[in-house]
Amino acid sequence: MQYNVVVIGSGPGGYVAAIRCAQLGFKTAIIEKYNTLGGTCLNVGCIPSKALLDSSEHFINAKSHFKEHGIEIPDPRLNLVQMIKRKSDVVKSNVDGIAFLMKKNKIDVHTGVGSFVDKNTIKITSSDGKETSITTDKVIVATGSKPTPLPFAPFDKKRIISSTECLELKELPKHLIVIGGGVIGMELGSVYARIGSKVTVVEFLDSLIPTMDGTMGKELLKVTKKLGMDFYLGHKVTSLEVKGDQVLLKAEGKDAKVLELTGDYCLVSIGRRPYTDGLGLDKIGIQTVKGQIPVDDHLKTSVDNVYAIGDVVRGAMLAHKAEEEGVFVAEQMNGQKPHINYLLIPGVVYTWPEVASVGYTEEQLKTQGRAYKTGSFPYKALGRARASMDTDGLVKVLADKQTDEILGMHIIGARAADMIAAGVTAMEFRASAEDVARMSHAHPTYMEAVKEACLAATANRPIHI
Amino acid sequence: MAIQIKVPAVGESITEVTIANWLKKDGDVVKLDEPIAELESDKATFELTASSAGVLKIIKPEGSTVPIGELLCEIEPGATASAPEAAKASQPAAAPSAQTSSAPAAGQAPSAPVAPKATGGVKEMKVPTVGESITEVTISTWLKKDGDQVALDEIIAEVESDKATFELPAEATGILRIVAKEKETLPIGGLICKIEITEGATAAKQSQASPAASPDKSYAAGHPSPAAAKILDEKGVPGSQVTGTGVGGRITKDDAQKVQPAPAAKADPKAQTPSTPPAIAGGGRNVRNEKMTSLRRTIAKRLVAVKNETAMLTTFNEVDMKPVMDLRGRYKDKFKEKYGVGLGFMSFFTKAVCIGLKEFPAVNASINGDEIVYHDYCDVSIAVSTPRGLVVPVIRNAESLTFDQIESEVVRLATRSRDGKLSIEEMTGGTFSITNGGVFGSMLSTPILNPPQSAILGMHNIVERPIARNGEVVIRPIMYLALSYDHRIVDGRESVSFLVRVKELLEDPGRLILGV
Repeated sequence: MQYNVVVIGSGPGGYVAAIRCAQLGFKTAIIEKYNTLGGTCLNVGCIPSKALLDSSEHFINAKSHFKEHGIEIPDPRLNLVQMIKRKSDVVKSNVDGIAFLMKKNKIDVHTGVGSFVDKNTIKITSSDGKETSITTDKVIVATGSKPTPLPFAPFDKKRIISSTECLELKELPKHLIVIGGGVIGMELGSVYARIGSKVTVVEFLDSLIPTMDGTMGKELLKVTKKLGMDFYLGHKVTSLEVKGDQVLLKAEGKDAKVLELTGDYCLVSIGRRPYTDGLGLDKIGIQTVKGQIPVDDHLKTSVDNVYAIGDVVRGAMLAHKAEEEGVFVAEQMNGQKPHINYLLIPGVVYTWPEVASVGYTEEQLKTQGRAYKTGSFPYKALGRARASMDTDGLVKVLADKQTDEILGMHIIGARAADMIAAGVTAMEFRASAEDVARMSHAHPTYMEAVKEACLAATANRPIHI
Repeated sequence: MAIQIKVPAVGESITEVTIANWLKKDGDVVKLDEPIAELESDKATFELTASSAGVLKIIKPEGSTVPIGELLCEIEPGATASAPEAAKASQPAAAPSAQTSSAPAAGQAPSAPVAPKATGGVKEMKVPTVGESITEVTISTWLKKDGDQVALDEIIAEVESDKATFELPAEATGILRIVAKEKETLPIGGLICKIEITEGATAAKQSQASPAASPDKSYAAGHPSPAAAKILDEKGVPGSQVTGTGVGGRITKDDAQKVQPAPAAKADPKAQTPSTPPAIAGGGRNVRNEKMTSLRRTIAKRLVAVKNETAMLTTFNEVDMKPVMDLRGRYKDKFKEKYGVGLGFMSFFTKAVCIGLKEFPAVNASINGDEIVYHDYCDVSIAVSTPRGLVVPVIRNAESLTFDQIESEVVRLATRSRDGKLSIEEMTGGTFSITNGGVFGSMLSTPILNPPQSAILGMHNIVERPIARNGEVVIRPIMYLALSYDHRIVDGRESVSFLVRVKELLEDPGRLILGV
């Protein structure tokens, strides 16, 4: 079969690239190793974790907050099997949706491991060992990433687990140890903390979600401590062993004091690594650098007709970043000249409250030596937040000292993930803090905190504080 | 108070300049007379110097084309400002204190209008020099009344000359005192009006003009929206060449779509998909739209004008180059040794032309209105191709120069041309032009006149051709010559004879010395 474009990997980068290619009139195929489309994001990442986050949030509301709202129910009991099943249903409906989209756009789906024979020929090996070959003008590699294991303690997938297994647990951990206080560790850690596990987070650096603005990590620490999570920041894990049903962790603090923890499960969430196993990159002369496929500004690899997008290339490992790159590459193949502003790809953590940010962090602006001003507004001064009892969190806006242009927006609080889109819009148009402050924001909403923070950034004149 | 730096009048007939590059960055501290930017007009590149010491605030971005008199940047005299400027700067601060406090809080309730405060200064506005040969102007309309408050650069009157009507901008902010009445005719330099300079009104205006509020001074001016950025890139048009109509001068999708509505613009990729897959198979059909530089625009305008406004035609001849080549071959090493410059063909041609021009003065003349201007000297323009376009620097008094002086001058002018360093003076005033298409391999062409000159000589490549000499066919290095001339003042007899004379002189270079 001869194609214009073959996409390897059907995650959010790959399937979006395939749809855009098909929209532009290319004869397109997509190759997926697993039996369901959607990649990490839909099967074992974004979607299932959000399903569990929402379920566990309902649980903790019923358990701890309903009473104050005037709803008295007997103590809720957890049905973890049902919770996981509902999560699986959500996943199924989503991956079925992708299968439908492939059909609708007349994209051929090939199931099996795709690997290069040469730059125009891809061999597909299905799980039963059957091999087929397809030829194509252009290839988009979108094979994504896998969880990084600890060098001294590989995943046994029973007690030492990655995010994938953590979404499929059959029992409620009594004590879940989380190594790594980044996005994945904080999200899954808070799921189990809400439904009754004791959760301890061990983080090498001195703050949580360390790539985000420092204020966010500090606030998140405060809020998740309230949830009963324990934290050991600035601790380096030195050993991790499984003894029967127990996991033993040893770590060393900054003061060289040794920390010993015993739990029944240990989630290792120290990062993800680009995944290119079995892709046969060597057949076409592509060499990975630290696992990543090197690409130019057009996301083209060293081979002329081969592009790579998403987690296998440089940049943040985010589904929406991969999606933008998928569209970008497809449109380029069509002779268009699309843009991606990487600074304005938002980052989100789906804890509750959520954390979301876009643009520069305060730390980055300091390093750049840029003259900036900040404006913050706390959720607790917000009528909407008081009504819903979601008073944790704040909005922080960074703006250029001279021009007032918004340089960064950082939100921790209810619905932050949805709100950050306003920050992206404002920054894509290079709005000033005052521009946003002068736009009407509906009352009562969480978004009023953005307007108020912009007023604070403009000239320190928020109205409601 | 910030010192405003505007595009200076750089020469007659230059109406706009392009900012080639900013030598200083926004926010830099600059010294008095320090070059801060390079400006490009259609004729030359020149440096803009700081008219005050202080902190630079760039208003017009690199690449933008700005009319004469328009604001380029501001300099905020800071701690480094010299004493008199510092004193000037402190003056307005005394009047409206609101200016400083409201500036950071842009867009707060506008500070209460401050009554303009007279400074005691009076600006007398005189009739500016509007162009060569214009000696008087008539005030056609006063747009402002006597006693009106006017702002700097606000248009206050329309003035008429015999060539054009132009607008008169206020040279200061203050109260207008009209001196010359409507319909009154004034000589150049005559007093038109006085402006009693005031402060305060400007201050109020300035606080409005703080970054977030001002539409044309915004830091985001020229910033394309995401969709606009894609469209512009596909059209190959940089954002700096588009005037944004969005808030603060931002470039909207609509602005981008209106830029050069090229048929290649992909408004709806879907619609053309059936035919697009070949794009993937190679054979790009990309179309690029680039804005003309002001030099190119001027060239275009002038060339069409020449075609329309002169009676141009061309006469041809051929030159046997052997004698010149022999002579050159014999002496070029000695010449180089003695004068430090190579002996090229340009000196021979220039000398031959000068002798021809003396004998046929009409070829060296130009038309000015109803008069013919004869030049008793030969200022020979030589066409030089540069990356920015064709320029024509002038060899002055070529008739009195020696061969080596001509060669050195050619080298000097050509180097300055390619470096973009030619001044306007170096390019104006030629009486006759020589262009050499031969360097690019042209066999024969019809050169176009360089106005207001009446003739141009075209040199071409030298090719060995069989020709008849004394009844025998011999091979000789031949160059075709072309002379385009303005038939309005040059008759066929003169033009043809001139070209024949040039041919004779070149075929027997000894005559160049004797002038026979």
